Amino acid sequence: MIAKKGKRVGSTLPKRDSNAIFSRRAALMSFVGVGVMGSILFRMAQLQAENLFSGEYTDAADENRFDTRIIAPPRGVIYDRFGTVLAQTSKDYQVSVQLSEIDDLDAAVARVGAILGRDDTWKRRTIARIDRTKRYEAQPIAVGLTWDEFNAINVRLPELQGVTADSADVRAYPYDIVYGHPIGYVQKATQRDIDRALEDPAQGQSRAMYLRNPYVRVGKAGLEVSMEDTLHGEAGWRKVIVNARGVEQGEDEEERREPRRGSGVVLTLDHELQRTAMQNFGEQSGGAVVMDIYSGDLLVMASAPGFDPNLFVNGIGQADFDAYNNNEKKPLFHKAVTGVYAPGSTFKMIVGIAAKQAGMEDNWSTSCGGGFFYGGRTFHCWSRHGRMNLHDAIKHSCDVFFYQAALRAGPERIAAVSRQFGLGQLYDVNVPNVRAGLIPDPVWWRENRNEGWTGGLTVNYGIGQGAMGVTPLQLAVMAARLGNNGYAVVPRLVRDAPGVTEPGDPPHMNGIEAEHLARVRDGMFGVCNEPGGTAMRAGNLELVRHPETGAAVPLTPETRGWAPVQIAGKTGTAQVRALGNNRGRHYSTIEWRFRDNALFCCFGPWHEPRYACAVIVEHGGAGSSVAGPIAREIMRATLLRDPSRRAPARLAELDAAFNGGRA
Amino acid sequence: MTATALSGGASNTLFERFRKLNWTIITVLCALACVGVMMHFSVSSGAWTDMPLTHGIRFVLAMTVVIIAALLLDARFWLAIAYPLYAIALILLIGVELVGATRMGAQRWLDIGPLSLQPSELMKIGIVLALARYYHQLDARKTGTVLWTLPPFVMIAAPVALVMHQPDLGTSLLILAAGVIVMFLGGLLWRIVAAGAIVAVGGAILAYTTILHDYQRDRVNVFLGITDDPLGAGYHVLQSKIAIGSAGLFGRGYMEGTQSQLDFLPEKHTDFIFTMIVEEFGLFGGALVLGLFGLLMALTMQVAMRARSLFGKLAAAGVAATLACYVFINTAMVIGLVPVVGIPLPIISFGGTAMLTLMAGYAIVLSIDLHRDQHGARGWLW
Repeated sequence: MIAKKGKRVGSTLPKRDSNAIFSRRAALMSFVGVGVMGSILFRMAQLQAENLFSGEYTDAADENRFDTRIIAPPRGVIYDRFGTVLAQTSKDYQVSVQLSEIDDLDAAVARVGAILGRDDTWKRRTIARIDRTKRYEAQPIAVGLTWDEFNAINVRLPELQGVTADSADVRAYPYDIVYGHPIGYVQKATQRDIDRALEDPAQGQSRAMYLRNPYVRVGKAGLEVSMEDTLHGEAGWRKVIVNARGVEQGEDEEERREPRRGSGVVLTLDHELQRTAMQNFGEQSGGAVVMDIYSGDLLVMASAPGFDPNLFVNGIGQADFDAYNNNEKKPLFHKAVTGVYAPGSTFKMIVGIAAKQAGMEDNWSTSCGGGFFYGGRTFHCWSRHGRMNLHDAIKHSCDVFFYQAALRAGPERIAAVSRQFGLGQLYDVNVPNVRAGLIPDPVWWRENRNEGWTGGLTVNYGIGQGAMGVTPLQLAVMAARLGNNGYAVVPRLVRDAPGVTEPGDPPHMNGIEAEHLARVRDGMFGVCNEPGGTAMRAGNLELVRHPETGAAVPLTPETRGWAPVQIAGKTGTAQVRALGNNRGRHYSTIEWRFRDNALFCCFGPWHEPRYACAVIVEHGGAGSSVAGPIAREIMRATLLRDPSRRAPARLAELDAAFNGGRA
Repeated sequence: MTATALSGGASNTLFERFRKLNWTIITVLCALACVGVMMHFSVSSGAWTDMPLTHGIRFVLAMTVVIIAALLLDARFWLAIAYPLYAIALILLIGVELVGATRMGAQRWLDIGPLSLQPSELMKIGIVLALARYYHQLDARKTGTVLWTLPPFVMIAAPVALVMHQPDLGTSLLILAAGVIVMFLGGLLWRIVAAGAIVAVGGAILAYTTILHDYQRDRVNVFLGITDDPLGAGYHVLQSKIAIGSAGLFGRGYMEGTQSQLDFLPEKHTDFIFTMIVEEFGLFGGALVLGLFGLLMALTMQVAMRARSLFGKLAAAGVAATLACYVFINTAMVIGLVPVVGIPLPIISFGGTAMLTLMAGYAIVLSIDLHRDQHGARGWLW
């Protein structure tokens, strides 16, 4: 085998047979190879055995491929008392992007923008709004598309990787500004909502996950937020198969749970009257409330100027928001329940009743010479009324009479009667930010102002000025309790919804004498119907009663001679800055925000009271000339329509009809 | 070149030689290639274009060339080109180091006109042939000296260092392993083996702390459990283990592997194709494929055992060793037994170079088997 021997290969080296070594070592290596292969097979078997007992790998594989996608439930419809749809869920066409499928987001958004004809500003804002952390979720970038825009995107979809066009449920408010305040709006949950859900052990992670879903909207204002649980419904889910990039590959239909749509809500509001109220405010700022004086149904809950809730649903633009927010008439402020104003002369009925309770005689009178000297200063009246009794003092709104009446009644009694008539009270009318206002008394004064009550404060109390404040809603409750002869009616906004029942008869208010009530009601009648009354214009409704049906009909030549339909009310003009500053100045020379607030409250029809109304016009000037006419139009429409005598809609029927048989 | 180095045993006619080809090895190779085409069909979600078709065509072309080469070239040819091939491969590796194109973060490719060449692949064959020739020509007694053990060490160390610097840990490990195994089979002294083992451990620690690139160290860290990074370096192995662990005895079914089909398993057509095989065909399927590879190794070792020349023995065993390193490192990697190194499963994984390397090796093996009776004269260069 060995052919040539190397010359220097010494024979000292041990003899070795390469072929034999090779054979031995090849056999050894083969054994090693078998061993390695055995351990690999063993390890594989071990992995599967582990899985057999713990299931960890099967679980992990399932966790990888299955994803639960939330189906947002259609939100419940909000109806007026006769079934007019005020808020509904409709289909919205939108374009979404999924970041994990897009390499160049800028280019993708630019192409969508080009197809939709949007400008660079839109592109910049859209890109800024995209949440880069949500790579595997579809995020809407353009909403509210027209059918043509939607089609334009749809035909180009094959070339738009990672872009989808679909329809989603969106909340729509068909009467926009009319119901901005009472109904409010829904929006995407904010980070604060999510944080709050995380902190709340009852909600926790799953709720937070749910809120993060880009199609989920929650109530953010008005009734939408306070009735959230009723309106929202129950989310459904789909179990989908996804690939590693989160793109849906299929769905496990058996695991699908359909969402349960939210229940509808029937409001007590009457759309016709609410719209009339909003229209009659015109450019004015203020609030108006109309309620049924027996059931407490709120027929009107208006706050002017209104705002368009539709703008908020998909995130309001900065310009629109600024326009609302910087407006001195505060369109976003719900004046009907949140606005607190000095009641001014509308408070005089309360003072009158309190003074009667304190023993003021029926024939007690005082002489108004334009002022009342008390405690070293003169409290002015707006006119020189001469001799005044209670009836005339209400009719003419004489301040001097009520300065003295207040002193006779005393602050404690005035405060007590105020509260009985609903002032300073909180009402749950299913909207947020309802304010209690303030009815001060000596105890409150000591605790909050750290000084003693003075007689001067009592004198001012007599004409509804000072620290006290009431909301339009409270003023309406007061008028209602005067109108129903002292029943403690409580207002309500929701008429029919799960868990809502018809209100029982309101309890009669303790300690309110029918005779005292009759006196001030007579005065209120005088205000609207007797010569010299401060609201003769507002009181002239030009309505007459049908002799057979009793229904109110407009005064025409044919109906002349039928009994008139009348109301009883009270005007108020409340100063918003320190007493006297506006005196003697012409209104046009006073800055708007320093002008007096105009108030009016009333109930009617006089022969058979059923409705109460309160109107407050911010910085409108005199109650008689500004608030009165608005109230007249609202009240006239209310009496003509007489909504309380018509059968209200039933939620079950409305929802069944609206949903068209869908679950 | 003279024809004196190996002589005798030449077959007669071309047809005769064709008949005598080791058809068993060819059949096993074809079977493995079929598994590859089948898996690529699954990767492509049931489309023939282009992966399964490309893979199949590549294999058929390579197999044809291998058979022709085995018929026409005998062991003398391989002996003759052993050193030149090694030299060319080494020069090209140095060339890559100097002017190579960087692709996917590593400098591995040399662009020569339209040709893209990965010299490290050439080196896998080059090292086996060069070492086989070295020991073939070395006096048996000299193999037992330290002095004559130094040249093969240098022959291995040079390309390993160059390839590791590219950086391509997997290929350098393969070259190192194949080289060392050939040395061992060639008669390396046991005490050097022992010393080498100690040096290897020390070298591994040194490599870990100094030479390894960050991403390589990350992989090692994840493997050793020093860091836990399921979305980073550990993601591949985690997903692979999930796929294998959840597969069961017979798998989820062909084209039904959720981890593979939904892309949770990365690199499923290349480095992690074995995982996909197990996921879709279960432990049973994995064992079958491993068995096929084992059979191929055994058949190759059989070629080595019955070759008469030491060169033939060492070359064939070297190819078997390269195959074993590929298969064992790859499968051990996908089940988390060793850190992730970019080594495909030969013949099955998609990609031309690994297949080309292995098939070139089998051209040598088949040729040696065909001319197994050629026996060698030693030391003819001196």
